[in-house]
Amino acid sequence: MRKRFFVLLAAFGLMTSACTGGGDDGNTPSESPSGPVTLTFWHGYSDAEADSLKALLDEWNAANPDIQVESLYVNNDKALQKLTVALQGGEPPDITYQYGSSLPQLAEAPGLVDLTDWVKEPDVNWEDFIAGARTAATFDGKVLGLPALIDDLAIVYNKTLFDDAGLDYPSDQWTWDDLRAAAKALTNTADKRFGFAYPMDASEDSVWHYDPLLWQLGGSILNEDESQAAFNSPEGVQALEVLTGMAVDDKSVYLDIQNSAYTEIFNSGRIGMLMTGPWDLSSFPDVDYGVEILPGFDGDHQTIAGPDMWCVFDNGGGRKEAALKFLTWLTAPDQIKKEALATGHLPIRLSVAQDTAFLDDFGATFPGIDVFAENLANVVQARPVLAAYPSISEAMGLAIVSAMLGESEPKAALDEAAAQSNDALALGAG
Amino acid sequence: MTRFRRFLVSDHLAGWTFILPSVVLVGLFGLVPIVWGLILSFQKAGLISPEREWVGFENYARILSDPKARQAAVNTISYTVLFVPISILLALFVAHALNRKIALIRFYRLAVFIPVVTSTIATGIMFLWLLDKNFGLANWLLDRIGVGPFGFFEDPHQAMGALVLMTVWGWLGFDTIIYLAALQGVPQELIEAAAIDGASRWSSFWRITWPMLGPATLLLVVWSTISALQLFDEVFFVTKGGPLGRTSVVVFYVYRLAFEQGLGGLSLAGYAAAIAYVLFLVILVLTLAQFWLGRRVIHYQS
Repeated sequence: MRKRFFVLLAAFGLMTSACTGGGDDGNTPSESPSGPVTLTFWHGYSDAEADSLKALLDEWNAANPDIQVESLYVNNDKALQKLTVALQGGEPPDITYQYGSSLPQLAEAPGLVDLTDWVKEPDVNWEDFIAGARTAATFDGKVLGLPALIDDLAIVYNKTLFDDAGLDYPSDQWTWDDLRAAAKALTNTADKRFGFAYPMDASEDSVWHYDPLLWQLGGSILNEDESQAAFNSPEGVQALEVLTGMAVDDKSVYLDIQNSAYTEIFNSGRIGMLMTGPWDLSSFPDVDYGVEILPGFDGDHQTIAGPDMWCVFDNGGGRKEAALKFLTWLTAPDQIKKEALATGHLPIRLSVAQDTAFLDDFGATFPGIDVFAENLANVVQARPVLAAYPSISEAMGLAIVSAMLGESEPKAALDEAAAQSNDALALGAG
Repeated sequence: MTRFRRFLVSDHLAGWTFILPSVVLVGLFGLVPIVWGLILSFQKAGLISPEREWVGFENYARILSDPKARQAAVNTISYTVLFVPISILLALFVAHALNRKIALIRFYRLAVFIPVVTSTIATGIMFLWLLDKNFGLANWLLDRIGVGPFGFFEDPHQAMGALVLMTVWGWLGFDTIIYLAALQGVPQELIEAAAIDGASRWSSFWRITWPMLGPATLLLVVWSTISALQLFDEVFFVTKGGPLGRTSVVVFYVYRLAFEQGLGGLSLAGYAAAIAYVLFLVILVLTLAQFWLGRRVIHYQS
């Protein structure tokens, strides 16, 4: 309990520095690198990802004695908070990994480099980055980050459970009704076995699993000019009713309230199907799994992408130019292929994603990953990039979880969330 | 001798030197942030953007119309109302049970205290496993006797109860040690005299022991109330405020506003600071009231 007091103090402390810091944004006139430069580079890669990144960095550092890159591990979930603290201290990293959803907040950060003009350079080959990732790195018409990683959602299923139940594997022609029926057939309450799973922590994770259903039905999160919530439309309600039908009526869904257990439970053979991304595949060594694109409504099988990016801060002394030079190299097709084959990251460039020789290698190294790679073609829409989005996401997350727990009706829950979202949008505009 | 030299050889210098490290630490990490936090609470400010706008009492006024702040306040109050009496009464019972000469008494006392020194994270992981709705030991045992299953942390209506259960378990040892020390300070001759006069054990407890424990009870009530109102660690790690915000307590809400939603764009750090200040005032008033009440009803040994 003593600890709690210090938490409060620490909170005060950080707010404090908020008042004092942030003055010096290193706006020294840019010059070309005169001596050797050492760049600070924050990333959140661990295990195989970290090994692959280190190999790439070693390669770069050996070939470029003038621009040395020093990497520092920063947990991705905490990258924005950590950056906030660094900004208060006036010492942001030269390059940092950030979630695409953090862009509106990042846009306000002093010293963040606007990449709009730079990405027009032929070396960068901007148009070759996957469209969804380019949109997500753009805020208010300005490019503020270079795409670093992209994921999409698909269905991962346990082949053994399907065989035991005598069911056909999911196909690319599936509708959500097919998925619901299969989930129900796979569920065995006495044996603690579930057909499907859903993240129920009411975070953005709860929201982006719902978005594809909404979009497939023709609905959207916000209206055309992004001034009003639109997810409480009949399409939005219908999308949520698919999920509540499974969770409340069929009880065929493992509801992961803390959003921390579903991978282990899937790996222990107690969940039939997951809607998830390629990052989870390495957590399933004990399951003979298959991957299929999302079920659809009326033949629309679109999915959602979660792009992350590299952001650059101008710390003067030619460091910005050095950082951009390094990033150009890091995101070039050769490096992307190496990284993908070592880690299972989906290729962020179209030219790589369409390279059949590469895809064969990729699918052989990571079974099922080629489905995720091809599924990038099903990414049609992106979530709104707005300052008010975290509030909208929170309201939607609570509505989805509340309805799926059977605590409220889908329509009423979405209406309430829409009202809260409209408040947040009004606040952002004012 | 000049005044300065007189100061150098006096006790003042030695005294100040001894407390200097504490003064610097408390000043730097206590007083300065408290003052800056107060200033921040009158500003519209985020943590990323350096822009600051003076808004007077707007942040404070906003608390009244914020349903999530109201929810956090209600959650905090219900937690405190449950946690304080349950933990104190249970500690009194356990301390009484441990205040006797039986075999292995040191082991029992140690066992009761161990949860206090166990990290919150370890406690949290253990309870998440024990109370898991589908695979937890608690539901397995309850199923043997034909009850449940309970959702515990996963059920919006039970999560607060599970949180109280977990924190009472975690802090029972601390309250017990305080009561155990106080119980050993109760003069045995009073108990014996009462027994000779024919008092039952029950009435000698309520008429002699309980009043003699007054100062310890006051300490525990004040301490537990403050801690309960500042609950954070367990919520942050175990429930993250959910499900459906039913365990979102005030300090957790402040954290979320300032460090998750309030980063930059929405400029909520000032608002968060205002809520933190209101909580500070509530705790201050409540503590003063408890001491005032305590002085009137508590019997201090002369």
